[in-house]
Amino acid sequence: MALETTAENVEGRVPITILALDGEVDASNFASIIDEVGALYRAGTRHLLIDLTNVRFLASSGLVALHSAVRIMHGDAPPDPESGWEALHSLDRDTAGGVRQSEVRLCGAQPAVERVLVRTGLTQLFEIHPDRTSAIAAF
Amino acid sequence: MGSDLRRIGRRSIGPIVAPFAELETGLAIAVEDDAGDLIAGAAGAIDLDAGSEATHDIIVSRRRAGRVVARGPGAGTALARATVASLAAAIAAVAEASSDADRLIGQELALGRRLQRSFVSLVAPDVPGFEIASHYEAAREIGGDFFDLFRRRTRRRPLSIVIADVTGKGIAAALMMAFVRPLLHAAIDHTRGPVEALERTNRILVGERRSALFITVLCIELDVRTGQLTMANGGHEPPLLVPAGGQAPRALEGSGTLLGAFDRVDAPECTAVLEPGDVLVCYTDGVTDAKAIDGQRFGDDRLLAAIESGRAGGAHGIAGAIRSAVDTFQSDMEPADDVTFVVVGRLP
Repeated sequence: MALETTAENVEGRVPITILALDGEVDASNFASIIDEVGALYRAGTRHLLIDLTNVRFLASSGLVALHSAVRIMHGDAPPDPESGWEALHSLDRDTAGGVRQSEVRLCGAQPAVERVLVRTGLTQLFEIHPDRTSAIAAF
Repeated sequence: MGSDLRRIGRRSIGPIVAPFAELETGLAIAVEDDAGDLIAGAAGAIDLDAGSEATHDIIVSRRRAGRVVARGPGAGTALARATVASLAAAIAAVAEASSDADRLIGQELALGRRLQRSFVSLVAPDVPGFEIASHYEAAREIGGDFFDLFRRRTRRRPLSIVIADVTGKGIAAALMMAFVRPLLHAAIDHTRGPVEALERTNRILVGERRSALFITVLCIELDVRTGQLTMANGGHEPPLLVPAGGQAPRALEGSGTLLGAFDRVDAPECTAVLEPGDVLVCYTDGVTDAKAIDGQRFGDDRLLAAIESGRAGGAHGIAGAIRSAVDTFQSDMEPADDVTFVVVGRLP
């Protein structure tokens, strides 16, 4: 029920950090993902692959974490979802023309998780790959 | 009550005890909670077996929350006994003040929940030929669900049905909800239809650049003469149409993006007809994501089963069945998310 995260670095065409999530992403823990991505960015990560293979459940607040991950890798200050009123949407301008960002990719989304991503339109923001290998090759 | 001490422990108790923790008189002073676990101070800094021990209970809200203990060669003295007594009194005072503050915060949250209820639990409009049932239950922490039901002031006075979920929890989500609800209402009143209303609301949210939170919204217009439904969905759970003939409920698919995240929602306009005897079920993910004590989620199958068991009773029957199924499923767990649904039935 809890969420565990593990990060590892791999070499693709560029250095990539894989953040694997294991468990359920909901309102109780999505902020910890944002914190973790912020820490990775500060440690030098610029290309992030979020592995969702072991995510059994993604609540709508999890979408805030994924969206925030993109902003962080963009170099924006990590948003504070608690403050709620300070976010920038510069990122959305970038994606408005249909060009998806390439700093953060997703892989391994299970059907229930993919359904949420599709329904809410977050697939406009992310390339979703079936597995790590294809995602790494795409960076 | 031991948890009271643990919670305020390092921040508040540590500094009180620190100057006394290792007196040159050979005393080690420590604070333990009611389970005997160390909260602050120096355990084992000196040979604890040496010499005697002086202790004094910490009483918070008339209950024993823990104790201050002095050990070491000097612990038998009157000075040691007086020291642990005054430390225990000081720590108790800090703990009392802290639980007072918690109570105040609790009262504020309760007020917030009541305020939020006032946003969502408005009396449903009376629409001849239709029955409307709704349910809203706030999460333990304030959530951001809301719904809105009103007759538009245009010629045919269609019924507007809005149900929405602000992502995230707490005061920020509740404020966002309070900001968006009238915005949507006004947009619906001043646009030609749901697609345009969502687009306009989103433009304001994104343009204002005000929030890191998103909102999923389902916006439906019901022509009360014909049963014609016109719907735009901004990333929300698709509503379910329960046919009068007893067939399986059908999800009205077709969705744009959630609001607040992208420049455009691009929701398709979906249409359907609510025939006599049909029922429309709109809900937030707090229903399907409701969690049992063993970690299981309520899920689509249980929702469909509840609808099945209540459908003979029309909109109110279905609403009652969903409500009791979710309640039974969660049993004593406090809901982690708002549970909200709106059920609209066209009378046969």
